[in-house]
Amino acid sequence: MEKKIEQWFESIGDKKHPDEFDAKYLVKLYSIKVPCARRLGPEDIFDVEGIDPPYVLKVCSSNILHKTEFQGVVLNNDNESVQANFKELQKRFPNENILVENQSSYMGPEFIIGIIKDPALGHAVMVGAGGVLTELYKDTAFRLAPCSVTEAMDMIDELVLSPVFENFRGMTLDKKKLAITISQVARLAHDLGDRLSQLDINPIVFSEGEWIALDVKIVFE
Amino acid sequence: MDKIESLKKLLDPKKIAVIGASKSKDKVGGIIFRRLLGSRRRLFPVNPKETAIEGHKFSPDIQSLPDDIDLAIITISAEAAVKSVEMCIEKKIPNYIIVAGGFGEVGAEGRLLEEKLTKLAKDNSVNILGPNSLGIFLPDENIDTIFVEHGDKSLDRNGQVACIVQSGSVGVEALGYASNTGYGMRAFVGLGNKCDLDEIDFLNYFSLDKKTNCLGFYLENIEKGRQFLTIARETARKKPVVVLKAGRTHTAASAVSSHTGKLAGSDNVISGALKQFGIQRVFDDEEFCDATKVLSMLPGAPGNRVAILTAAGGYGVMCTDFIENMDKRAKLLMAILSEATKRKIKDATFSFTACENPVDITASADDMMFSKSLDALIEDDGVDIIICIAFFAPPGITENLIDIIADKIKKSDKPIIVFTKYGPFTDNSIKNLYYAGVAAYPSVGRAVRAARFLVERTKIKQRLDQEA
Repeated sequence: MEKKIEQWFESIGDKKHPDEFDAKYLVKLYSIKVPCARRLGPEDIFDVEGIDPPYVLKVCSSNILHKTEFQGVVLNNDNESVQANFKELQKRFPNENILVENQSSYMGPEFIIGIIKDPALGHAVMVGAGGVLTELYKDTAFRLAPCSVTEAMDMIDELVLSPVFENFRGMTLDKKKLAITISQVARLAHDLGDRLSQLDINPIVFSEGEWIALDVKIVFE
Repeated sequence: MDKIESLKKLLDPKKIAVIGASKSKDKVGGIIFRRLLGSRRRLFPVNPKETAIEGHKFSPDIQSLPDDIDLAIITISAEAAVKSVEMCIEKKIPNYIIVAGGFGEVGAEGRLLEEKLTKLAKDNSVNILGPNSLGIFLPDENIDTIFVEHGDKSLDRNGQVACIVQSGSVGVEALGYASNTGYGMRAFVGLGNKCDLDEIDFLNYFSLDKKTNCLGFYLENIEKGRQFLTIARETARKKPVVVLKAGRTHTAASAVSSHTGKLAGSDNVISGALKQFGIQRVFDDEEFCDATKVLSMLPGAPGNRVAILTAAGGYGVMCTDFIENMDKRAKLLMAILSEATKRKIKDATFSFTACENPVDITASADDMMFSKSLDALIEDDGVDIIICIAFFAPPGITENLIDIIADKIKKSDKPIIVFTKYGPFTDNSIKNLYYAGVAAYPSVGRAVRAARFLVERTKIKQRLDQEA
């Protein structure tokens, strides 16, 4: 794993804020599922070959941390609308890469899994109620990395959201798989070591029997 | 020498030098020396300006002390304290308690003095407690170096809680007040500025100490955080560890751009870490004393179903509300009583007794009715914990109820926690319950919270046992 991480680190353009495509590649190394995607540069020809509709288009840049606030995301594209919307987005961000992804449908609420480096205790992993309102809900649980699957199960139990795993309104979300993902993220932090400052997987959602990371953000020291 | 062995000499010294001892009862050196007179240890006061105190001759200087002193208590001011440690080291004294402040806590100059002490301790392999330490108090060893008022005799009786506190005044005030209602202390250690000895040294020591069954810490900073947590987890396999961590740290706000960073903001990381390592967190000194008291007196709880036995209907209702409140520490449930239990209670009390949980045997109840109802609840497989709301004002209730409850606690695995009030005699009632071996509290909320500590403890123990 160490070698793969170093290769990845060498390959990325921005060593402080890797873009979303690079960040997702990293979590994929830890068996965390991400949507099927392609990163297209300003000069690239439009191409969605091999990606299933519907599509989501996102500006993919190290310079833009909050895409939604800058109208850098276009959801719900079908085969007819995707090319025109792509060109529109290119016009808005002429010098940036654009990400074309399969837009996953999912069940239940959005979660967030994150990493923060505490000055005294080192890396801590967090799980919580995710989405754009995550900072308002403040429904979170923290543990230090590394973090076992059992410990991650305890974290999930602490959340106000935790009853969604008890067949709430007929939802069948896999709690154990989420705990495994939390534990994997903690391992990733441990492997990346001191250079990792912050990481957000937000949202992570339950889609077709797996937890899938819809957005990943990494900040290095 | 092994660190544990060397700390034993600090905590149980045979020969003690008091640098700056004084005849004056107003001076710290005078108070500490007099406090030590009852310790039946050999004392050596040092003060060039005085001749004799309470039958002890003053040594004019450190050089004239005998060679085998175990502990020097330094009661003089910062700069002079550092010089006297240097001289004591030449006399090969292995342990020090430095009472004076005026070190790292006051600024750069003080910090330099403190660094000198750190270096002296390291270079010469001696133990320094403090500076700015309120000292030590171990009732069983009959040693007490604390120069401020700190509670009554209840602290002295077979206590099993080791209290290790960074701020001496928080420690003595908390324990002093807790002693009004009975509190069993094994040891008090005032860490002060931690120039040398710190929480990890005493965590190691009291983990192994046979007379300690619960450890409580008041900490403002944990420099060696991971190390402390790791050792505390090992301790928590055997004994409960309670931490009052004050002073919330903020991750440098400007550098935080992620959601996770913003959500970590307050002290969520430390809360999560303490949970992860099996440590029970509390948030003020009252909670600290309440938690360590119940954890030291009762072994945990087999489950989280609570039965309430009350002689006062209103408090039973209130108690139910507290039990059903959402609380992140541990979830409690109102026990569902079996028909057999209800029948037994009715037979033992009145035909009109409300036997749904909470069980209200009314102010007409007497000692025997309490006793038989408690038996019925203990025998009910659907009950894990009993909160007994006991009042001594009703005519049928006597002080004998205390021994009745104590006896049942001794014979049963199910914890019984008492909530009681007795007007101006409340504290005394609770203290008498403590002497009999019963953990009691003067409010419904605190009694229910104590039950949560027991449930939390049992869950921690089970998890740590599984991991082992």
